Amino acid sequence: MILVPASEYAYLLPEIIVALLGVLLIVADLIWPAYDEATGRSKTWPAYLAIVGLIAAAVAVVPLASVSKTLFNGIIQIDPLAAFFKLLFLGIGVLVILMSVNAVPKFTRWTAEFYALMVWTILGSMLLASAAELFTIFLSLQLTSLPLIVLVGYAKRDPRSGEAALKYLLLVLVSTSVLLYGMSLIYGALGTSTLSEIGAALAREKTINPIVAMGLVLLLTGFAFKITAAPFHYWVPDAYEGAPTPVTAFMSVGSKFAGFALALRVIVAAEAVPLNWHLIFGVIAAISMTLGNLGAIRQKNIKRMLAYSGIAQAGYLLVGVAAFSSWGIASLLFYTLAYGAANLAAFAVVIIVANAIKSEQIADYAGLSKRNPLLALALTIGLLSLAGFPLMAGFMAKFYVFLSAAQAGLIWLVAIGVINSVISAYYYLRVAFVMYVSEGPAEPMKIDPQAALALCVAIAGVLFLGIIPQAAMVAAARAAASLFGG
Amino acid sequence: MQWLLAAMIVVPLVGGIALSLIPVSLSRFVRPAALVLSGAVLAASAWLWYSFDATAGGMQFELNLPWIPGLNTAFHLGVDGLALPMVFLTALLTVLAVVASRSIDDRVGQYFTLLLMLEAGLMGVFVSLDLILFYLFWEVVLIPMYFLISIWGGANRSYAALKFFIYTLAGSLAMLGGIIALYLATGAKTFDMLQIAQQSAVLPRSVQIAIFIAIAVGLAVKVPIFPLHTWLPDAHVEAPTAVSVLLAGVLLKMGSYGFMRLGPTLLPEGFKALLPLLAILAVISIVYGAAVALMQTDMKKIVAYSSISHMGYVMLGIAAGTTAGFLGAQVQMFSHGLIAGLLFLLVGTVYERTHTREISAFGGIAKVVPILAGTMVFAAFASLGLPGMSGFIGEFMVIVGAIQPYTVYAVIAAFAVILTVGYLLWMVRRVAFGPLNKDRADMKDLTLSEGLSMAPLCLLIVFVGVYPQALIGVMSTSVEALARLVGR
Amino acid sequence: MTNLPVLAIIVLAPVVGALLIMAFGRGQIAPKAIALVAGTVSLTTSLWVFAVYDRAAAGYQFVTSVPWIPSIGVSFTLGVDGISAPMLVLTSLILFTGVLVSWNVTERPREYFALLLLLVTGVFGVFAAVDAFLLFFSYEMAVLPMYLLIAIWGSTRKDYSAMKLTLFLFAGSAMLILVLVLTYWAVGANTFDMRIWASHSFGAVFQKWVFLLTLIGFGTLIPIFPLHTWSPDGHVAAPTAVSMLHAGVLLKIGAYGLIRLGLVMFPLGWADWRMALALIGVINVVYGAFCAMSQTDLKYVIGYSSVSHMGYVILGLAMGDRFALTGAVFQMFAHGIMTGLFFALIGFIYEQTHTRVIADITGLMRRTPLVAACFVIAGASSMGLPSTAGFVAELLVYVGLVIQSPWLAAAAFIGVVVTAAYVLRMLSRILLGEPSAAVAPIHDAPPLRFVPMAILAGTIMLVGILPASLYTIITGSVMPIVTKLAGG
Repeated sequence: MILVPASEYAYLLPEIIVALLGVLLIVADLIWPAYDEATGRSKTWPAYLAIVGLIAAAVAVVPLASVSKTLFNGIIQIDPLAAFFKLLFLGIGVLVILMSVNAVPKFTRWTAEFYALMVWTILGSMLLASAAELFTIFLSLQLTSLPLIVLVGYAKRDPRSGEAALKYLLLVLVSTSVLLYGMSLIYGALGTSTLSEIGAALAREKTINPIVAMGLVLLLTGFAFKITAAPFHYWVPDAYEGAPTPVTAFMSVGSKFAGFALALRVIVAAEAVPLNWHLIFGVIAAISMTLGNLGAIRQKNIKRMLAYSGIAQAGYLLVGVAAFSSWGIASLLFYTLAYGAANLAAFAVVIIVANAIKSEQIADYAGLSKRNPLLALALTIGLLSLAGFPLMAGFMAKFYVFLSAAQAGLIWLVAIGVINSVISAYYYLRVAFVMYVSEGPAEPMKIDPQAALALCVAIAGVLFLGIIPQAAMVAAARAAASLFGG
Repeated sequence: MQWLLAAMIVVPLVGGIALSLIPVSLSRFVRPAALVLSGAVLAASAWLWYSFDATAGGMQFELNLPWIPGLNTAFHLGVDGLALPMVFLTALLTVLAVVASRSIDDRVGQYFTLLLMLEAGLMGVFVSLDLILFYLFWEVVLIPMYFLISIWGGANRSYAALKFFIYTLAGSLAMLGGIIALYLATGAKTFDMLQIAQQSAVLPRSVQIAIFIAIAVGLAVKVPIFPLHTWLPDAHVEAPTAVSVLLAGVLLKMGSYGFMRLGPTLLPEGFKALLPLLAILAVISIVYGAAVALMQTDMKKIVAYSSISHMGYVMLGIAAGTTAGFLGAQVQMFSHGLIAGLLFLLVGTVYERTHTREISAFGGIAKVVPILAGTMVFAAFASLGLPGMSGFIGEFMVIVGAIQPYTVYAVIAAFAVILTVGYLLWMVRRVAFGPLNKDRADMKDLTLSEGLSMAPLCLLIVFVGVYPQALIGVMSTSVEALARLVGR
Repeated sequence: MTNLPVLAIIVLAPVVGALLIMAFGRGQIAPKAIALVAGTVSLTTSLWVFAVYDRAAAGYQFVTSVPWIPSIGVSFTLGVDGISAPMLVLTSLILFTGVLVSWNVTERPREYFALLLLLVTGVFGVFAAVDAFLLFFSYEMAVLPMYLLIAIWGSTRKDYSAMKLTLFLFAGSAMLILVLVLTYWAVGANTFDMRIWASHSFGAVFQKWVFLLTLIGFGTLIPIFPLHTWSPDGHVAAPTAVSMLHAGVLLKIGAYGLIRLGLVMFPLGWADWRMALALIGVINVVYGAFCAMSQTDLKYVIGYSSVSHMGYVILGLAMGDRFALTGAVFQMFAHGIMTGLFFALIGFIYEQTHTRVIADITGLMRRTPLVAACFVIAGASSMGLPSTAGFVAELLVYVGLVIQSPWLAAAAFIGVVVTAAYVLRMLSRILLGEPSAAVAPIHDAPPLRFVPMAILAGTIMLVGILPASLYTIITGSVMPIVTKLAGG
C-alpha cells in the first residue's frame, strides 16, 4: 500500500462527521437513554441531534463544492458532482428525520438506533457519490444497503415490515452478487479497478471485449435494482408498503439517488464502449415509465401508489441518462432535486395522515380538504409537481429532461414520456379528487408539527424550483460538467 | 407602465391565494373581495385598451425580465392587437363570473382562489411572449379548472373534470414537445417568440410542418376542433355556471389565439401547409356542432355544442389565412366570448331557480319571467348571427375571408347558419313561448344583480355588432401584419 | 341638394324613438306618443325627399357616407333613387298608420312600440342603403323584432308561426350572405358599394349561379312559390300593425333586393332564369288567388292575396322592360298601401267582434259605413279597378307581359278573374246583408282609428287618379336597369 498524506482526509470531513454522528447517537443513548422506561415514552433528542449533525456535515460539504480532486490514488473523487449528491442526501436525511420525529416512537422504542442506522445509510450514499473505484463502490453500496435492511424491518410488531425486510434482504443479496460478479469480470479483463483507468483502457480498445461487456451489463443490472428501474422493480411495492413510512420516504429518494450517484461515474467510464447507450437507457427508461404508471393506476394504498410512481419517476430520471450528454446529466440532477422535494412533501403528508388516522388507504383521504385544507393543498401541490405541472418543480424538471432528450435526438423517448405524463396525471389527480370531492369525516385533523415543518420546507422547495429554477440549474450544470471533466 | 401586465397576472394570483386564508366565519366578505380584485384587473385592462396605440405595430407594454438565463427563457410579456381584446374579455368575464357565483356556499374562499387563479393563468397565456411562459400559464389554467369542475360541479363531475383534464393535458404535452423541437431546431436557442419569429422562417418546410402539427394538436384540443371536442360538452354540463362562462368565454379562445400567435410568426410554412386540413376540420366542427346541438334536450348541452360550432367559424377564419379571415376569427372570438358567456349565465340562472335544464320541463316562461325570457331570446339571436349583434360581424367576416381560398367551405359555413337558427329557435320556442308549464308558474324573474351581470354583455354585443370598428381598429394593424406573413 | 343627412334622419328617427321609449316609456300613453312622433318625423322627411328628388337626374341622391368597417370595405352609405324613394314613403306611411292602429295595444306597450320602431329601422335601412352590407344588415336586423312581435303579441299559433318565419328568413339570408361574399370577392375592390358593384361586369357562369342564389334568398321573402308557406301563417299570427308592416313592407324588401342585387348586378344571370321567374310569377298569381278563394279566415284571405299580388311584381321583374319593371315597383307600392289598409280594417273588425271568420261577419255596411267604404276601396285596388293604385300597377305589368309573352299574360289573367271572384265574394259577405250577431253591437271606427284608414284609402285613390309623380320617379331609375337588362 502506498501511504497517503493525512491532509487528504480533510476532504472527507463531511463523511467523518456523519460517521461520528452515528456513533455519537448510540453512545449517547447508552448514557442518557432516549426511551423512558417509567413513562413508556421516547424522548426526541436523538432526532434533533441527528439533524444538527447532518446540517453540520452539509456545512462542511459547501467549501468542497468547487473543488475537483482525486484522493487516495483514485479511489475517491471529490468534485462538484459529488458535492451536489452529498448535499442532496444530507438534505433528504434532514427532512426525513424531521418528519419521523413523532412517527418513529409509534413503532419502536429504539429510536436512537433508528436514527443511527439512518445516518449510516446516508453515509454510505455520500461515499457512493465520491467512489471512483469498483471495490470502494461495492463497500459504499453495502454501507447504504445493510442499515436499510434493518430499517425496513424495524417495525417488529407489523408482520408486513418483517416480510418487507426479508424481501429487501433477498434483493440486496441478489443485486450485490450480480454487481460483484460484474466487477470481477471487469477487473479480470482490464486489470484495474479505478474508474478512470477502466475508462482509459476501454477507450484504447475500440472493439468490445465480450467479458467487459458482460461485466458492464451485470454492473448496470445491479444499479437497476438500486434505482428501481424496470424490469428490476418488482420488489419495490412490497418493500415500500411494508417498511415504516419514514424509511419508505428515505428509500424512495435517498436510496434511489444513491444508485444514480454511482451509476453516473460508471457510465461515463464506459462511454467509450461502442454500445448504443442512448438506446439501452432509453428503452429501460421507457419501460420503467410505462410499467410504473400503469401499475400505479390500480393502487388503493397510497404508499404502494407512490412506490409505482417512483418506478415511473426513475424512468424519467433515466431519460436524462439516455441523453448521455452534459446537458442530459444536468437535467437528471435537477430532476433529483425536484423529485426529492415533491416526493418528500407527499410522504410528509402520508406520515401526518397516518399519525392522525392510522390509515394509508387512499379512500381514507376523503374529505381531507375539509379536515385540513392546507394539508390537502400541500399534498395536491406535491402530486401536481410529480405529475409535472407548471409553477412546480416537476414541470421544470420534466421540461429540462425532455429538452435534453430531444436535443440528443431521442424524439421517440420524449413522445413516450409525454404520453406517460398524461397517464400519471390520472392517478395523481385521483388522490386530489378524493381529498376535495369525496365525502368524508369533517372533524379537524391533528397535525404533527415537526412533520409539518418538513412539509413546509419541501413545498417551499417545490415552488422555488418551479418558479425560480435558475440557481439550481446552474448548480446542476456545474456538477454535470465536472463529470465530463469540465 | 411596463409592470402593468405583470400586475394583471400577479394581483389575481396573490390576491386569490389570500382569499383562501380568510376564515370561514368571514366568508361573506370573500365574494366582495374577489369582486374588488377582478374589478381592479378589469379597470387595468380598460386602461390598457384606452392607452393602446392601435396604429403602431408590434408589442406594447413590454416587460422583459431574465428568468432562466441558462435556457434563454425570460419573463417576457407584451400585448398587441391580437392579445388586447382577449385580455379585456378575460377581465370582463371574470368579473361577471364572480358576480354570478352568488350561490356558492361550500368552501367559498377556495372557490374564489381558484377562480382568480384561472384569471391569472388566462391573462398569462394571452400576454406571454416567451414559449415556456406561454406553456406554463397554459397549464396553470388547467389546475383551477379541474378543481372548479370537480368540487363545485354537477352530479357527474368527477368523470367530466377528469376527461377535461386528460384531454387537454395530452394535447398540451404534445404542444410542449413541439415547443422543445422548435427551440432545438432554430439556431437561436431561445424561447422568446419575437426572436424565434425572426429565425424560424428559414427552417425547412418539412421540419416546420412536423413541429406545427405537434403544437397544433395541443391548440386544437382547447378550441376544440372536431374530433378532439368530446370533452367539452361533458365539462360544460357539469361545471358550475361561472366556470362555464369562463370555459366557453375565454378558455376555448386560448386555442384559437395560440393558432394566430404561434402559427404565422413562428412557423409560417408549417402553418400554411396545415391550413387546408384546418379548414376541413373547421367546417366539420361547424356542421357537426350545430347538428348535434339540434338533437340535445339539455339547454346547457345545446349551448356547449353551439360553442363547438361557433369556434369552427373562428378556425375557418384562421384557416383562410387572409386579413379578413383573421380579423373575422378575432371578432368571432371576442363575440363568442360575450355571447356564450351570456347564454351560460342565462342557463345558470334558470337552473338555479328550477334545478333542471331539460327543455321539456319549461314552456311559456315568457309570461312569468319576461326579462329573463327576453334576454334569452336576445342571446339566442345574437348567437345565431343576427346583424346588429357581434356574432354576425364575426361570422360574416370569416366567410368573406374564406370565400376566396375555400369557396365550398365558405358556402357550407354560410348554410350551417340554418342549423344554428334551428336549434336556438327550437330551444327558445319551447322554453320561452307556448303554453305555460304549470311547474314554472311561480318562477322568479331576474334579480338586480343577475341583470347587472348580464347587462354589460348585452350592451357590448350590440355595440360590437353596430360599431365593430371599435374592436377591429384595435387589432387590424397586428392582424394585417400576420396576414402578410401568410401571404394569401 | 342639401347638406342635411336627411336619410340618416329617416333611418335613425325610429331608433331614437325606440331608445326613448325604453328609457322613458312608462305607462300606456308615453310609448305611443313617442312612437307617433318618430313616425311623423320619418313620414314628413321621406315625403320631403320624395318631393324634392331630382327626377331628371335620377340615380342615387342625398348620398351620405361614413366609414364603418374599413378593413373589409364596409361603409355606412345611404342614398335614394327612384325605386327606393317610393319605398321609403310606403314604409313611413305604414309606420305612421301602424302606430295609430296599435293605439289599443295594452299588453306591454313599451316593448311593443320599441320593437315596432326597431323593425321599421331595419326596413328603412334596407331601402336607403347604397352599401350592400348595410342592406343585408338592416334586413336581418328586422327579423328579431318581427319574431318577438309575433311570438309575444300575436294570435293563432303564434310561437309556431314566429319560428317558421324566422327559419325561412334565415335560410334565405344564408344564401344572401353568400351572394354578398361571392360578389365582393369577384369585384375584388374591397368595397360593398353597390354603385361600384354595378359597374363591374361579372362572368356569365358566375352570374347564372349567383343570380339563382339571389333569387332564392330574396324570393323567400317576396315570397315566391313554393317558398311562400311561412308568409300567410305569419300574417295571421301577427298583431295588426305587424301584419301591416309585414305584408305592406317586408315582402317588398324581397322584390327590392332582387332588383338591387339581382337584376342590376347580374343581367346575364337574369336572362338565364327569367322564364323560370315568369312561370313562378304566374303560379304565384293564380295559385295565390285560388288559395285565397278557399279561405274562411279574413286574414288568411289577405295573406294569400298577398302571395297572388306579389306574383305581379315577380312577373314584372321577369319581363324587365320599361313598363313591366315600372309596373312591378308601382305594384310594390300599391300593394303595400292596399294590404296595409286591409289589415288595419281586419284588425279593427277583429278587435270589435273577436272573430275573423267570414261566415260570422255580415252587414258591416249597416253598422260601420266608414270602415265598409274603406273595405270597398281596398277591394277595388285589389281587383285592379281603375282609379285605384292597383289598376295602374297591374296595367303596366300586363302591358309589358302582353308585349313579350301573350301566353303568360293569358295565364296570369286567370288570376285576375279569380281575384275578382274572391274579393267580391268576401266583400259581399261581410258588407251586405243584415248584421250578424257578432257585428250587431259594434260601432263605427272612432276618429283616431279612422284616420289611418282614411290616409291609406286616400293614398290608394290619389295614386290611382294621379299616378304621374310616382310613375316618373320610378321610370327614371328603372330605365338604366332596363337598358342593362336589354344587353346595353
